[in-house]
Amino acid sequence: MLLPVFTLKLRHKIIPRMVAIGRYDGTHPCLAAATQADKVFIHNPHTRSQHFSASRVIQSPLESDVSLLNINQAVSCLTAGVLNPQLGYDALLVGTQTNLLAYDVYNNSDLFYREVADGANAVVLGTLGDISSPLAIIGGNCALQGFDHEGNDLFWTVTGDNVHSLALCDFDGDGKKELLVGSEDFDIRVFKEDEIVAEMTETEIITSLCPMYGNRFGYALSNGTVGVYDKMARYWRIKSKNHAMSIHAFDLNSDGVPELITGWSNGKVDARSDRTGEVIFKDNFSSAIAGVVEGDYRMDGHIQLICCSVDGEIRGYLPGTAEMRGNLMDTSVEQDLIRELSQKKQNLLLELRNYEENTKAESSSPLSEADGHRGIIPANTKLHTALSVNLGSETQAAHAELCISTSNDTIIRAVLIFAEGIFIGESHVVHPSIHNVSNSICIPITPPKDVPVDLHLKTFVGYRSSTQFHVFELTRQLPRFSMYALTSPDSASEPLSYVNFVIAERAQRVVIWLNQNFLLPEDTNIQNAPFQVCFTSLRNGGQLYIKIKPSGEITVNTDDIDLAGDIIQSMASFFAIEDLQVEADFPAYFEELRKVLIKVDEYHSVHQKLSADMADNSNLIRSLLVRAEDARLMRDMKTMKNRYMELYDLNKDLLNGYKIRCNNHTELLGNLKAVNQAIQRAGRLRVGKPKNQVISACRDAIRSNNINTLFRIMRVGTASS
Amino acid sequence: MDLNLNRADYLQVGVTAQKTMKLLPASRPRATQKVVIGDQDGVVMCFGVKKGEAVTVFKTLPGQKIARLELGGVLNTPQEKIFIAAGSEIRGFTKRGKQFLSFETNLTESIKAMHISGSDLFLSASYIYNHYCDCKDQHYYLSGDKINDIICLPVERVSRITPVLACQDRVLRVLQGSDLMYEVEVPGPPTVLALHNGNGGDSGEDLLFGTSDGKLGLIQITTSSPIQKWEIRNEKKRGGILCVDSFDIVSDGVKDLLVGRDDGMVEVYSFDNTNEPVLRFDQALSESVTSIQGGCIGTDGYDEIVVSTYSGWVTGLTTEPVHKESGPGEELKINQEMQNKISSLRSELEHLQYKVLQEREKYQQSSQSSKAKSAVPSFSVNDKFILNKDDASYSLILEVQTAIDNVLIQSDVPIDLLDVDKNSAVVSFSSCDSESNDNFLLATYRCQANTTRLELKIRSIEGQYGTLQAYVTPRIQPKTCQVCQYQIKPLSLHQRTHFIDHGRPMNTLTLTGQFSFAEVHSWVVFCLPEVPEKPPAEECVTFYFQNTFLDTQLESTYRKGEGVFKSDNISTISILKDVLSKEATKRKINLNIAYEINEVSVKHTLKLIHPKLEYQLLLAKKVQLIDALKELQVHEGNTNFLIPEYRCILEEADHLQEEYKKQPAHLERLYGMITDLFIDKFKFKGTNVKTKVPLLLEILDSYDQNALIAFFDAA
Repeated sequence: MLLPVFTLKLRHKIIPRMVAIGRYDGTHPCLAAATQADKVFIHNPHTRSQHFSASRVIQSPLESDVSLLNINQAVSCLTAGVLNPQLGYDALLVGTQTNLLAYDVYNNSDLFYREVADGANAVVLGTLGDISSPLAIIGGNCALQGFDHEGNDLFWTVTGDNVHSLALCDFDGDGKKELLVGSEDFDIRVFKEDEIVAEMTETEIITSLCPMYGNRFGYALSNGTVGVYDKMARYWRIKSKNHAMSIHAFDLNSDGVPELITGWSNGKVDARSDRTGEVIFKDNFSSAIAGVVEGDYRMDGHIQLICCSVDGEIRGYLPGTAEMRGNLMDTSVEQDLIRELSQKKQNLLLELRNYEENTKAESSSPLSEADGHRGIIPANTKLHTALSVNLGSETQAAHAELCISTSNDTIIRAVLIFAEGIFIGESHVVHPSIHNVSNSICIPITPPKDVPVDLHLKTFVGYRSSTQFHVFELTRQLPRFSMYALTSPDSASEPLSYVNFVIAERAQRVVIWLNQNFLLPEDTNIQNAPFQVCFTSLRNGGQLYIKIKPSGEITVNTDDIDLAGDIIQSMASFFAIEDLQVEADFPAYFEELRKVLIKVDEYHSVHQKLSADMADNSNLIRSLLVRAEDARLMRDMKTMKNRYMELYDLNKDLLNGYKIRCNNHTELLGNLKAVNQAIQRAGRLRVGKPKNQVISACRDAIRSNNINTLFRIMRVGTASS
Repeated sequence: MDLNLNRADYLQVGVTAQKTMKLLPASRPRATQKVVIGDQDGVVMCFGVKKGEAVTVFKTLPGQKIARLELGGVLNTPQEKIFIAAGSEIRGFTKRGKQFLSFETNLTESIKAMHISGSDLFLSASYIYNHYCDCKDQHYYLSGDKINDIICLPVERVSRITPVLACQDRVLRVLQGSDLMYEVEVPGPPTVLALHNGNGGDSGEDLLFGTSDGKLGLIQITTSSPIQKWEIRNEKKRGGILCVDSFDIVSDGVKDLLVGRDDGMVEVYSFDNTNEPVLRFDQALSESVTSIQGGCIGTDGYDEIVVSTYSGWVTGLTTEPVHKESGPGEELKINQEMQNKISSLRSELEHLQYKVLQEREKYQQSSQSSKAKSAVPSFSVNDKFILNKDDASYSLILEVQTAIDNVLIQSDVPIDLLDVDKNSAVVSFSSCDSESNDNFLLATYRCQANTTRLELKIRSIEGQYGTLQAYVTPRIQPKTCQVCQYQIKPLSLHQRTHFIDHGRPMNTLTLTGQFSFAEVHSWVVFCLPEVPEKPPAEECVTFYFQNTFLDTQLESTYRKGEGVFKSDNISTISILKDVLSKEATKRKINLNIAYEINEVSVKHTLKLIHPKLEYQLLLAKKVQLIDALKELQVHEGNTNFLIPEYRCILEEADHLQEEYKKQPAHLERLYGMITDLFIDKFKFKGTNVKTKVPLLLEILDSYDQNALIAFFDAA
């Protein structure tokens, strides 16, 4: 049994995920964490006598070895580490929704303080790819930015959605670190500097990422899933009803391989083997875990695993010694093994008994009503499933439809569908009332996104009066573009927007692709190239045309730029295309984007004007206050009253101004996100190198504020004509 | 002194019922004892333990489910004859496994509980109690509600035969011959009875009881009246009690109390100088503990607690240390034993797996033929659906002998599913189209590996009634699922009680018409929980109920052709009126419903709600302040500048937050009930006041008792 080597109880709350350990003076590891009231506290148990004596840092009134740092804004991310290798000690990085502060705790000075328009939702510190100096990389609204120790912006790129988690990991094993980005659109993207080398789609928002070792990394989702990836393949994952607050890799059983340590929202901490996900150690806190970090907190040369709870309880664990043989839990391994084996034996015996009883029942009388009650069904009962597109009716919107029916008079009592990402929870249940049960059920399915989904079906089959049902388990795949119905072409409604590209594939292969990715009626017969197919979206009725010429030139007409991107990415992976240059035009979308860009400029200027106003007002306040106090000293109560009244009005104005600023800022953020997304979308229309070229060219165009070039890049893929 | 017990699993038999495992008396003090256990396959097994391995002494052939297993013998000699109750039959075995008795009792129902004392045999089926002496019928009693357990005070000490029945309606019925001597009300439905110290304590009259809501108590059953000694409330919200035993595991010369609960908790209570029980040890097993006994079975000289669990595990919690300090060689030997055990299990498994594969193939092949049937025997689901008095919510507990894969919960009434900490399954709520398919709740619980027990919490609304269904699918091939149904009754939050306050202002609902006693009884069963399904033998019965949420009461008295319901809560009467008239119309019975409304009762109910509401409002307000105050504390460093009230909140912060978390949506429920009260009050007057409800909610938002009463009067 592994016991904590130290336990501390700090009287400060800790905001989840905002915990870091750093040697801010070069020798003593100190714990920094964000706490209530927009403050960061630094716990320094080593040097009790000396305190940071400066204006920014104040001594905590509650605890002698805790100092408080005022941030005055909600802290959104925090980390510590070596930012300037010449300095020889760690810097503390604190991100908020508008700024990033790199702070030198020892000297009580700012290394830099940068305004970041896209906010900082996550921060990671380290070296990225070939960039020599360590970078503080922050992830905000669709944007990633990396700063060196002087605050120079050395790295900038965009990603698909708001960033929630970041990690540095040697993903491809080349000895250099790649950046892993988990974002709100459920994707984990891997950036080799600013090139995307891999994209993995998960089932929920990725809340945490952590490098394990080699090219393995751990991840946590907002629905309570944690797991480990080995490169692009998911190694294992588990799901809990609680939420993983923090994950960390640490070798707790001294076997040379780090385990995935997870801190949960119910106060549990567990260590899981990186290979199997098996729990090798667990402990419980009385409140939710805020962060899991590691450091030599006792300064005895041994690194401890340090877990912090939101209530300020901190426990440190030393890795298990060799004598424990990795056995960190209370129970003995043998006992557990015996229990497990006996359980298996019992299960097998039960199954055997099931078969025995079954043969007994078979030899008896033919099927009767009473049998139905006991859940006896004909042995040749089969389940048919069919996926199709339903165009809907007046009462029901169009949807994809899954029809399940039995092959005889048995009824389907209920259907459970377990699938990820297309229902509100992880499952969908269809349970008709007892009057409506029959031997077939049609289930409408409306996936919100165009992703291929595995539907795991559990169908309860029996008779009307049964109290026991047979469970038929089967898996069907819902194709990626199941929400598009094949319709007859109508040239009048053909969308103006299009993408155009050439692939070196036979038309038959394209037909196969169509069959795999769309729900085509069974009798669909597609003749040889050239041909065209037309689909209607069941979500918004938008049209989609796919035309193929004998030369292999494909034109996709749709007004939905995301859909065009999805089709190109799907084709690219199906035909294993590495690089694909695409010509695209989305007049309506581009027009919208143009407006957004103009708005961004407007909001920027309003922002500056408001800042200037505020500065003016603060000067005015100062003078009014002085004059009011003067009047008081002169015992001129009337003037004093007037001055304070003015001050009051001014204060009101300031408050209003602040509200305007806030609104302005959120609008600005929204628009910036739209711009970042536009770049990302333009990238998704291409594959491989052209994709990266588009993204970097677009970025340059935005920097130089050259809107026309931006649109040209989006259209043809390059800046040069 | 700390009690340190180590777990050792001995073997697994079939599913076991309550009180079906016993230890045979030892031949000499502290020597190893043999274990006898009976399971639901009907097998009685007796085994000893040698070097950690179970060695079978005898094993009978399968038969009917074994409901109870007791030891007996001539009084004042070692009690080593084994008696089992299976179906309506009692069988006796010697300790060598030779059957010496087979007694068909001719009871129409199967036996539920049994007690043996010398040549006296006490049996009970669901409602019937029978006393036999030398297998001859002696006495008979018909109980008003289900009998859960039966015991007789030690004849050799009190020199009279005093059987005690533990009945579902929260009473212990003390009998004399065929007659009821008196009833003792206990705080919950009693599930188990045992003699204190194994012999009835100093007086021989001390009786321990455990209830299905987890309470324990000691009562002295004297000839005239009961004397309550002590009671342990279930503060930690643990499971119901299934078995108790007295054994000196702490070895301090005083017998300790061993308790097994249906959530897998094993507890040891010691007695202090004032003879009050103190919790000394607890350990959680993963499934219901069906029997418990102290003794010595593993190793000579080491006492242990032997328990059997629902799925048939016999497990010891032994005082023997795991790692002996006698040198490195010894440990190696223990490991060797373990390894042997594991390898033998492994080979057994391999063999089984091969057999199962063959059978599986056969099963698959049978699906080709058109005549074959697929019949999978039902697995047993151990379920419990009970009302918790503390937070007026229902607990649904499902236990299966193998791991559960998933559970689908479906309800045709609006209910809320609450989160339970113990439950680790991943819940997912599904959208439901209520109109066409009668679904108000569809949720799946996907269980983690090795979950055999699932606990859910459900909050119902009075007046909304229907059925809750649970489809349980265990992780076993061929996959099947079983449906368990539970009624959500119209007055779901009411609980049986035996005494009510007659001084309260009451509203009365009177039913008259051409209906039989059985019919009116079935209506009461339909409306209210905890009423026995079987109509009582009397001509006229009275049941008392208490609303667990508001503490209002209901008195129901009915006979053939007449039913009278009295309650101080007008909403209760209103619900009864609606449900009864609906039921009667359904059965085409002409029913005259008369009601008498007492205006004062509304004020009285509001006054009853007042302290609860005020407390909740204050609590909510305080909890809201905690974070802000804590921030101030961090900012200023001390709290001296705060007014005492705020300082008090800070000091109690943790406690307040815990209290607040314990009762989610309590305030909303209170508001809902006040609104119902308001609507119902005027419904009886024939006015519809639904339009005034927003106004009422406004008044509740800025709550003041007098304003509320005034509003009720004025509207």
